[in-house]
Amino acid sequence: MLVAIALAACGADAHADALDGVLEVRSAYVSVEGGVFLLHARIEYPVNPGIRDALHDGVTLTVELDTRIERERRFWFNADVVELTLRRELDYHAVSDRYLVRDVRSGTQKSFATLEEALTDLGTVEDWPVLVEPQLSAGHYRISVRAGVRRGRLPASLRALMFWTDDWRRVSEWYTWSLPG
Amino acid sequence: MVAPGLTGPAPAKPRWRGVALVLLWAGVGVGALLLLAKSVQNSGEFSRLQPWILLLNIIGVVALTALLARKLTQLVRDYRAHVPGSRLTARTVAIFGALVVAPLLIVYLFSLQFLNRGIDSWFHVEIKQGLNDALVLSRAALDLRVREYSRHTENLAHSLVNASAEDVAQRVYEERRATAALEMAVYGAHERIVAASLENPLESIPTRPPPDLVRQVGERRAYVSLEPQAGGEYLIRTAAPFTDSPTRADDRYLVAVYDVPTQLAALSEAVQRAYSQYGELAALREPLKSSFRLTLTLVLLLAMLAAIYGAIFSAQRLVRPVQDLIEGTRAVGKGDFGTRLPLPSRDEMGFLVHSFNDMTKRLRRAREEATRSQRVVERERERLAIILARLSTGVVVVDRELTVSIANQAAGAILGIDLSAAIGRALPQLTAGNERLGQFVAALVVRFGAGREEWREQLDLDGASGRRTLMCACTPQPGAERSGYVIVFDDITTLLQAQRDAAWGEVARRLAHEIKNPLTPIQLSAELMRRRFLASMSPQDAEVLERGTRTIVQQVETMQQMVNAFSEYARAPEMRITRFSLNQLASEVADLYRSHDPRVEIRLELDERIDGIEADRGRVRQILNNLVINALEALDGVAAPRLEIATRSEQAAGDARYAVVTVCDNGPGIQRELLGRVFDPYVTSKPKGTGLGLAIVKKIVEEHGGRIDADNRPEGGARIRVVLPVTDSTRSATGTRERRGELRREIV
Repeated sequence: MLVAIALAACGADAHADALDGVLEVRSAYVSVEGGVFLLHARIEYPVNPGIRDALHDGVTLTVELDTRIERERRFWFNADVVELTLRRELDYHAVSDRYLVRDVRSGTQKSFATLEEALTDLGTVEDWPVLVEPQLSAGHYRISVRAGVRRGRLPASLRALMFWTDDWRRVSEWYTWSLPG
Repeated sequence: MVAPGLTGPAPAKPRWRGVALVLLWAGVGVGALLLLAKSVQNSGEFSRLQPWILLLNIIGVVALTALLARKLTQLVRDYRAHVPGSRLTARTVAIFGALVVAPLLIVYLFSLQFLNRGIDSWFHVEIKQGLNDALVLSRAALDLRVREYSRHTENLAHSLVNASAEDVAQRVYEERRATAALEMAVYGAHERIVAASLENPLESIPTRPPPDLVRQVGERRAYVSLEPQAGGEYLIRTAAPFTDSPTRADDRYLVAVYDVPTQLAALSEAVQRAYSQYGELAALREPLKSSFRLTLTLVLLLAMLAAIYGAIFSAQRLVRPVQDLIEGTRAVGKGDFGTRLPLPSRDEMGFLVHSFNDMTKRLRRAREEATRSQRVVERERERLAIILARLSTGVVVVDRELTVSIANQAAGAILGIDLSAAIGRALPQLTAGNERLGQFVAALVVRFGAGREEWREQLDLDGASGRRTLMCACTPQPGAERSGYVIVFDDITTLLQAQRDAAWGEVARRLAHEIKNPLTPIQLSAELMRRRFLASMSPQDAEVLERGTRTIVQQVETMQQMVNAFSEYARAPEMRITRFSLNQLASEVADLYRSHDPRVEIRLELDERIDGIEADRGRVRQILNNLVINALEALDGVAAPRLEIATRSEQAAGDARYAVVTVCDNGPGIQRELLGRVFDPYVTSKPKGTGLGLAIVKKIVEEHGGRIDADNRPEGGARIRVVLPVTDSTRSATGTRERRGELRREIV
């Protein structure tokens, strides 16, 4: 009986497929300028009426780009060299009827008239420094990029409670390639 | 608490460990609950620990459930196995559980309802509407300004169509200053800056127009946008082409950026923030409810499980002394008085346990006392049994139905029956085949029938082996119920015989002494008279005198012989012990009497194992002579007189060996009334006998340490049996009084 009560209490009526649509890293590469490895990537984020409605209702989406650079080892697991996350937020500014893209770390923000423009901006990563040469030694390195979307600015306590019912959370497949020697 | 030295089923240490464990769990659980409750209210501080707190609570629930399941399983098993106290425990747990769970469930359901309604009330329609209205108002306020700036920009752009480059720059500068715009710039084809004026003197070029502006202006349409800035400020960006006609080749357009007044911007930003936060909260409405429900459910589960566990724990603690008491009572019931129960506390239960312990202590002492008394009684009984067994006096204890409860060996020996096998049986059932016992029982029945319970009398019991005289005393058994009698009796036959023998000896000695003395003067006087007067008397007188004096002399001689016989009987003889052949002596006696009276058939049956006997040969010959004479006299007038002399060797207990001489005849036998007294002097059935023959035989036999008895053979005739010790040492061991002579060996 107690278990039934608990299940009934916990059962949240969540939206089905809230983040429906394509979420993938279309292309990515790194360039080296002055000993700094710069990441360039094109990502496609999902867009659907549900997302638009949610943004209009005040929901903030957190868009993350996880980058992982590993040194390959033949007889053992690969060694992590760098793990970085580029975290940005997308929300709708109701007063100005514009979509805002905000870089969480720097605090800079841009506004766009349409959601598509905002997503295009989010999906374009240029010159993101991920590595400096002294971090590398001899050997082969692999770089992996993964995009993720989740309902942002959720209180951490609720995030913990909702981790098994939250469908406002998606990640793409890893996009992996070898670092040019 | 367990006192030292007491045995208890539950040792103290594990119990304290259990309490400590429960307290620890309770502390962890309460801490986790508090953290969980706080984290729900204040997400910032505890958000990091949230998953761990949740996990801890879930682990707590699982652990408590496992503990509870174990306890309940044990409880059910005990209940089914009818373990003492399990029913009381189950009932207490059920009552406690119901008392705790019912209110908890009510509070839980009420809280759940309250929670749902409370959270729903936050998102009331009016609030949403108010926020929307505020938003519309903000937009309207900003829109007014936006349109104004847009129109101004369009007008300015149209006015600059035909102006020269210098005029344009001048006009832009003047207009920017006049309208307090942040930037004002004129762009040509390919976003080339034609003229620009900036409020900030440190910046040399205006901000780059956004792509949508460039695109829209390229389509000869005016552009306006309200752009929120990072610091909560707003920028109004307006743009207008110099000419609306697409046919004219003038690509120039004017871009102006205006500031929104601070107060309006702040108010608008506040409305925006409220709207955004409300929207976010609204989106979190259901997850929030779930979160609170989960927290509440966890709290309920933990509290409920802990309460039930506590109920079981308390019930078991409460029932433990009762279980101890039940086990203790069972142990006492089985006779284990060493049971000491641990004192649970100083309450009423403790008092009860203390009383129980006190009771068992008293019981143990009482049992020890009883055991000691019983041991003393047993020892006394054994001592009494030994005394009774060694006693030559017969002791029989019977109830009113004459059922034997106690009888010693002497009683059996006197009555001629094994009374030890007769314990529990009635005496009258044992009389068959035992004439003496029959007479004894008959005597008892007569006296008890007459109502006599305490008496002391002499009983004469006749049997095949002669008359036995018992001195019998009867006393009612001590005790209030008078359930039976103690009968004590002695066989005084031998004692009486000895007394008679002593009396006869004294009589004989006196007779010999008193009669013998006058006899000689009488004889001498008679002979003197005869010598003196016989010759001078007439033949008639002489004959009278002759007959008279001869009679006197003959009678005196007869009396002399009689006195000699008495003297012989009464004398204290000196024995001359020699070793001789008994068989040879018997043969000699038989031969002598065969020649004396050939009419009588004398048979000899001699045991060859008797090679020699240490005794006074002359006296043993006298025994045989007397016995044979006695038998021959008894055979007088018998048609086919027959006499048998038999010797036999007998082995008694130990190494003592005896020679048995039996003399039987086929005469009339001994009269029944004389059987017990046949060896007394002057007891004879024959007209001629002196009555001293058998008395003398008995005397000689007893002087040799032997014994003699007489009875009648079943086929008729008397049988006299003499038992003599073979060796002198055997005779000495029998303790018979004698005067021993020097042992001389006689060659035979």
